[in-house]
Amino acid sequence: MAQVAGIGLRAPHLAEIARDRPATGCLEIHAENYLGASPARQAIERLRESYVFSVHAVGLSLGSADGLDADHLARVAALVKRLEPAYVSDHLSWSVHGGRYFNDLLPLPYTEEALDVVVRNVGRLQEALGRQVSIENPSCYLAFAHSTLTEPEFLAELARRSGCGLLLDINNIVVTAHNLRLDPRNWLSGLPDEAITEYHLAGHAVNDCDGEPMLIDDHGSRVGPEAWTLFDTALRRYGVRPTLIEWDTDIPALSVLLDEAAKADRAIRSASPDAARAA
Amino acid sequence: MPLALPDLQAAFAAHVANDVAGGDRADLAAAVVGDTISAEARLRVYRHHVAHSLSAALAATFPTVQALVGEGFFRGLAQSFVAEALPAQPVLAEYGADFPAFVGAYEPGRALPYLADIARLDWALNVAFHSPKGRRLAAADLAGIAAERLPSLSVALSAGAALIRSRYPIHRIWHASQPDTSANTVDLDAGQADLLVLRRSDDAAFIVLDAGEVAFMVSLAAGTSLEVAAGQAASAEPAFDLSAAFARLLSLEAFAALQ
Repeated sequence: MAQVAGIGLRAPHLAEIARDRPATGCLEIHAENYLGASPARQAIERLRESYVFSVHAVGLSLGSADGLDADHLARVAALVKRLEPAYVSDHLSWSVHGGRYFNDLLPLPYTEEALDVVVRNVGRLQEALGRQVSIENPSCYLAFAHSTLTEPEFLAELARRSGCGLLLDINNIVVTAHNLRLDPRNWLSGLPDEAITEYHLAGHAVNDCDGEPMLIDDHGSRVGPEAWTLFDTALRRYGVRPTLIEWDTDIPALSVLLDEAAKADRAIRSASPDAARAA
Repeated sequence: MPLALPDLQAAFAAHVANDVAGGDRADLAAAVVGDTISAEARLRVYRHHVAHSLSAALAATFPTVQALVGEGFFRGLAQSFVAEALPAQPVLAEYGADFPAFVGAYEPGRALPYLADIARLDWALNVAFHSPKGRRLAAADLAGIAAERLPSLSVALSAGAALIRSRYPIHRIWHASQPDTSANTVDLDAGQADLLVLRRSDDAAFIVLDAGEVAFMVSLAAGTSLEVAAGQAASAEPAFDLSAAFARLLSLEAFAALQ
């Protein structure tokens, strides 16, 4: 079977991947790291002959009530046009306000008002790119009291109204569910399966917060046991999708990432042998 | 009445940016569900992450500064900068143009007078790396130009190129700060450094210029003709050898193709 699970491509591994071209599923890059015409982007362009790419943006700020930054949107659109990736995604969050960028996935209240904003911004993004994008559930550390929808309800309605895909970050579900006292299986149960386009897997940290454990989405370790269990649940419920291992802090040797991707492939094969063959 | 989204985002932005003027608004905390972990503690997770992740981004752009001062000192320096100037856009490699000047004025860094120049070098290497390669001037491009026209020719520095001049031997300091270095002491009285940062095919790097070469390049960068630049170089260094220097710089692809 061809590998289904791939890895987030990080700068320290670029030379090794370019040289050895290891077998793996999709390679995902962060859009914001490749907007300039650096040697790194040239290396990525040369890798297109060997790999399927996913362009994952972190700074479009799709939840901003003030709308999207036209300059940044144009730069991301130019990159997407250049790379023609199989997948393009960003998050259900916001990170820009008043001309300042916070480099974090800041939370939204799940209200009709916010839904209108995100539907409008995702529509503008899809129009600029001329294609569907996928929206990822963020890790949450708080909930707003005036939310009237759950996060899965919000995502399902966003997909229905904008036509976007959904990128399910399994670790983010684990983190959010723990931090907001939700049942992760329940979170995962009510999504429109035709909208789901990709899965993300990553590790998290545990910090102390008011004397209690708060899970922090630091992408700094191997995928945890809760995420593997929930990944299995997702595979059985929604089936196989392109899956990526993300690792952004304390980046280990490439072999560790490839090992995690191989583990994801084993989970895919055992949960869904037929679908895995077809993928 | 819950906060409308624009107001909620304004209040949240003021919170994570630690704006003194905006302050922590009671209506923001009231909008957040608190339980055994309070609303305030939950909000602080975001504020902490913004400061932490942006200081990590600065460490990636200014690795030599961090290597010189250590992670702990760098974190304090970077977080002071972040508190003063958040990025204006989401491309982190383009964040920190003002960091070298901030380093120069940072009181706790006074003991390392060369630190701001190292920051300028790190920044120039970062800018060069992210620059498009652009077309370069090659010897063959000059072959078709009549010899009598050459002195009046103006040539621009190649895309991403920058001149970094310091009173301190920052090239030696830079080399001694690399992870794989064997050098561990640098004589700060070893004299100044005149460096030319270049975007090469696969990376960005710097070379050391002598007194004649740097005068030549400074003049060319200001838009003068080759003849004027050569005159400046000869004033700075009487032994300046124009054809040798020009050939060397040409082979390093230091010049942009003629327009």
